[in-house]
Amino acid sequence: MGKLDGFHHKDFLEQVTTLNEIAGSKDSDALPGLLELLEKPTGDTGVDYMVVNTLNAVLGANEDVVARGLRSRNGAFRTLCIRAAGEYAFPEAAEPLAEMAEAETDPDILVEILAALAKIRPVDGAGVFRAFLGHDDPMLAALAMEMAGAYADPHAVVFLKAAVEATDEERTYEQCDITTWKAIDALASMATPETLEFLAANVHHINPTARRLITDALVRVGEPVIPHLERHYSQGNVDQRILACNIVGFIGSRKGADALVQGFDKGNFTDPNVRYAAYEALGRIGTLKGLVCLVDGLSENDELILMAVVTGLERHAAPGILKTVSDCIAVGDERSARIAHAVIASRALRLFQELYQNETVGAALIRALKKSQDADILADFAARLQDIGSERAKADAADLPTVQAATRKALAVDDSKSMLALYRSILTGLGFEALMAANGQEAYAFVEAGEFVDIVITDMNMPVMDGMELVGKLRGALGYEEVPILMVTTESEGSQRSMATKTGVTSFLTKPFKPDALKAKILEMLGG
Amino acid sequence: MDVELAKPFVKAAMDVIGTMAFITPRPGKPFVKKNSMATGDVTGLVGLTGDGKRGSVSISFTKACAVAMVKNMLGDDIQDIIQDVKDAVGEITNMISGQARAGLSEKGLVFAGSTPTVIMGDNHSITHMAKSPIMAIPFETDAGAFTIEFCFE
Repeated sequence: MGKLDGFHHKDFLEQVTTLNEIAGSKDSDALPGLLELLEKPTGDTGVDYMVVNTLNAVLGANEDVVARGLRSRNGAFRTLCIRAAGEYAFPEAAEPLAEMAEAETDPDILVEILAALAKIRPVDGAGVFRAFLGHDDPMLAALAMEMAGAYADPHAVVFLKAAVEATDEERTYEQCDITTWKAIDALASMATPETLEFLAANVHHINPTARRLITDALVRVGEPVIPHLERHYSQGNVDQRILACNIVGFIGSRKGADALVQGFDKGNFTDPNVRYAAYEALGRIGTLKGLVCLVDGLSENDELILMAVVTGLERHAAPGILKTVSDCIAVGDERSARIAHAVIASRALRLFQELYQNETVGAALIRALKKSQDADILADFAARLQDIGSERAKADAADLPTVQAATRKALAVDDSKSMLALYRSILTGLGFEALMAANGQEAYAFVEAGEFVDIVITDMNMPVMDGMELVGKLRGALGYEEVPILMVTTESEGSQRSMATKTGVTSFLTKPFKPDALKAKILEMLGG
Repeated sequence: MDVELAKPFVKAAMDVIGTMAFITPRPGKPFVKKNSMATGDVTGLVGLTGDGKRGSVSISFTKACAVAMVKNMLGDDIQDIIQDVKDAVGEITNMISGQARAGLSEKGLVFAGSTPTVIMGDNHSITHMAKSPIMAIPFETDAGAFTIEFCFE
């Protein structure tokens, strides 16, 4: 006499109690009865659902039953066994599951089988997953790729590489196949010299989303990636060099800084955009060697590059460095004025406070500060002068000009802090109130908050939301249909310009640019 | 294992929309998105927590698709189209979340789901709070398109 006899005739409470007892005892004797209930459900969803849970509990305690159940003709029971095999990671189930994976054709069931196998992870399982790398169902292929990474399956590498390269050309710029994504992650988790070399060579992947996934993956891998990226300092094109510098900066290891310094020494960073990226990365890492290199960067002529240098130094203001910067400004030549301007424009408040102690240098900085038209910058430095608190500082603070409230607004979007600082200085110089955003999403938040601007300046490649998508969204936003939008791009992004024009960009400016060129462009776009 | 989590939702969406609204969705090629925004005219959103993970699942319908679903579910008995669409999308999201979670719990992945939130507004966007990539699965139906998006971390 089984516990489940006459189950259909019992009342709800009895049914629940009986099932609870079985779930507690996990007694395999109850299996035939439960199976019968699975085939002939009571019709009460709550009870039927409990039957399934009870079965699962019993299966969890009976590995042999699960292994046999995988061959059951009852489809529902077989699915339950597949799930239980995975949930409890039964090694005995691995072999039958692998056989089923070969014979099964329904992608839904295949996902169940492979997911269960993935949890059991039998030692010799790599081959089963390898067979699905090229499966038509992208979900199955993605799962197989994930496991190829987990097994570090050397035979899968060729396939994974092909998947990374085969990104669908018809995809719009912000979408990327999940197989590409999983292939990137799998190659990164293998982290062999071959796979890392491949990923490093693809840092400037044609699809921006894939590009970001590769960047993230390489940063996760960390130090082992550096030698592979280093190679691109001398061999890669401009975009690859820039991205290689960025990634090394994000990884932030001493080895990376050494590699960057060597890149400078060997003369690999002649392009201004690459120089900029390299200084920015050095500033992020901040080893002694790197800082010495940054100090050398003080002789850069380009305003933008100089701001990257100053921003880097601001982060790691050590006494020896302060002395050098101080001496450079104290000379009082053309270069001194440039550096002083960069300190103010990039809001290097810490650097300022230290440098201000020297009277000559302090005076030079105040001269640069007085030229600023930016109310926020003036306020920040005025507050810092008050903090310093000396008589001289108070007198200087009182002497700062007050800026007329701006009547026009501009929105500048760029993921580089130094670029934003440059925009800010130029825009406020032209009498704009400048709104700053580090990516498209932050920029769009201004629009959603009801801000209206006279002009938008945006970068193309940014994390979270890129320039192209931002432009698309702006053109759909009330009041932004006609606002002039300037997109700032590097030379090599030129190919994407026609797409950007279609999306709604009014005009382009190529990086690097002279501040005067940007000023002229803005005035031209606003009709003089 | 995003695929293992995503698949039950895809299946549940097809089941629920097929059974409740008599519309047959045809899944497209899933993709990963760079940003964390979902766009659509009507979106049902549920938060999920459990198994050491938390995430959100959203289903964004175009207006045409949402209206067609309501018409199929309620027949001609439509009192207030806005209210009805809101209810229907909320209910469908709830059922999809429930069915998918039931399937996941059989694999020992127990998730608690929040009550669905429905967001309406032409071409609105919503943001998933996640640093991990967002997986999206586009669907076509005769009545219009919809997209399911997941993120788990």
